[in-house]
Amino acid sequence: MTTIHHHPDDEWLVALAAGRLESGPALVVDAHVEGCAHCRERVRHCEALGGALLETLEPALLAPEALARTLAAIDNVPAPSIAPVRPSTPKPPLPPGIAWPRSLRDCSVMRWRWLGPGMRWSRVTLPHDPAANVFLLRIGAGKCLPRHTHSEVELTQVLCGSFDDGRATFAQGDFDAADGTIRHQPVVHPGAECICLASVRGKVLFDGAIARLFGSMVGM
Amino acid sequence: MPTSEELTAVMRAVATHRDRPAFAVLFKHFAPRLKTYLMRGGSSDSEAEDLVQEAMVSVWRKAASFDPDRAQVSTWIFTIARNLRIDRQRRSGVVQVQELSDDDALDAVPATAAAPDDRVAAMRRERDVRTALAQLAPEQALILRLSFFDEHPHARIASELQIPLGTVKSRIRLAVNHLRRLLGPLES
Repeated sequence: MTTIHHHPDDEWLVALAAGRLESGPALVVDAHVEGCAHCRERVRHCEALGGALLETLEPALLAPEALARTLAAIDNVPAPSIAPVRPSTPKPPLPPGIAWPRSLRDCSVMRWRWLGPGMRWSRVTLPHDPAANVFLLRIGAGKCLPRHTHSEVELTQVLCGSFDDGRATFAQGDFDAADGTIRHQPVVHPGAECICLASVRGKVLFDGAIARLFGSMVGM
Repeated sequence: MPTSEELTAVMRAVATHRDRPAFAVLFKHFAPRLKTYLMRGGSSDSEAEDLVQEAMVSVWRKAASFDPDRAQVSTWIFTIARNLRIDRQRRSGVVQVQELSDDDALDAVPATAAAPDDRVAAMRRERDVRTALAQLAPEQALILRLSFFDEHPHARIASELQIPLGTVKSRIRLAVNHLRRLLGPLES
C-alpha cells in the first residue's frame, strides 16, 4: 500500500458530501476518496455535518396534503428488488496491477491516442454530462509536460507512477488542485510511466505556441 | 425537537413494525427541513415537494437498512435526499453533479453489520460533529449552514452577515478550518 501525501482540501470534500460538486471535479475527487481511507473518513464527517445542519434548518411550509400523499405512496411501494448490476463500460488496458477507479465505471474512456513522443491521452466522457472536460494523460518515464497555468482549476488524481512539478512529488493515489496561482511543468520520474485522471474547469494555459497546439489536441 | 435517541427509536419502529404513526413522526420532523434544504440548493417549490416525498418514501422502503451504528437518522436521511437530488439532476441533465460511488453511500444496504471499531468511530464522529458545531460562534455556524446547502451561497452570506462579497470565501474557509480544529486530530 502506497502512502498518500496529497489530499483534497476540505472545500472539495464538503462540496462532494453536500452533493453540489460539478460532475467533472466530482469524478476526480471521488477517484481519490475511494482509494484513501483518510479522506473516506473525512467525507463521513462532512456527511455527519450535513445531517447535523439539516436539523438546524428552518422548517419550510409543506403542502397540506404532503403527509397523506406520502402515506398513500408508501402503500404502493413495490417489493424491493435487487437491481441488476450493469456491466462496467469497456476501457483501454492499464499497466499490470492498476485498476480503473470505480467512479469511472459508467464513463466511456477512449483508446489511448498519441499526443507527442512518450505521451498519450484519452478522453473520458461522463454519460450524464458529456460536456465535462475530463481526460487521462499517460506520460512516459522521464518525460515532461509543457509548462502551463490554469484559467480556473485543474484537478488531478495520480493513478500510477509519479511526477514532480517543482512544488512537490505526486505519486500513485495523490490528488492535486492547481489554479491560476500555480504555473508548473510536471516531470515524470524515471523508471515508470505516469497515468493521471484530470478534470479541467476553465482552460489550461500553455506558455509556448507549440504547447498551445498540444493543448488544443486534447481540447484543454 | 426530538433527540437523536428518540429518532433512532422511531426509525426502529418503522423498520421492524412498519409502524405508520412512527413514520408520520419522522415525516413531520424531517420533511419540512428537507424541503428547506432542497430549495436552498436551487429546487423550485414543486420540485422540492416531489423530492421530499420521494426521499420519505425511500426512508420507508430502506428503513431496514438503517444502521444506527453507522450514522444518525438525520445523517442517513440527508444522504438519501442528497442522492435522490443528484439522480434527478443527472436524469434531467440540467445541472451536472455527481454522487458518491454507491459502495460508500450511507443509504446503501450494508453487506455486513458494522464492525465494533466502525461502530465506535461512527458514534464518535456524529457526537464530535455536533459538539464542534455547538462550540462555533453563531456567525460561523450560520456561514457553515449557508455555505453547505446553498446553491449560490456567497451573495446570500454577504447580505445576511453584511460583509463584503470579497471576504465571504475566506470567512467560509475560516469557519471550516475552525470546525476542523474543533474536530481534533483527524487532519494529520
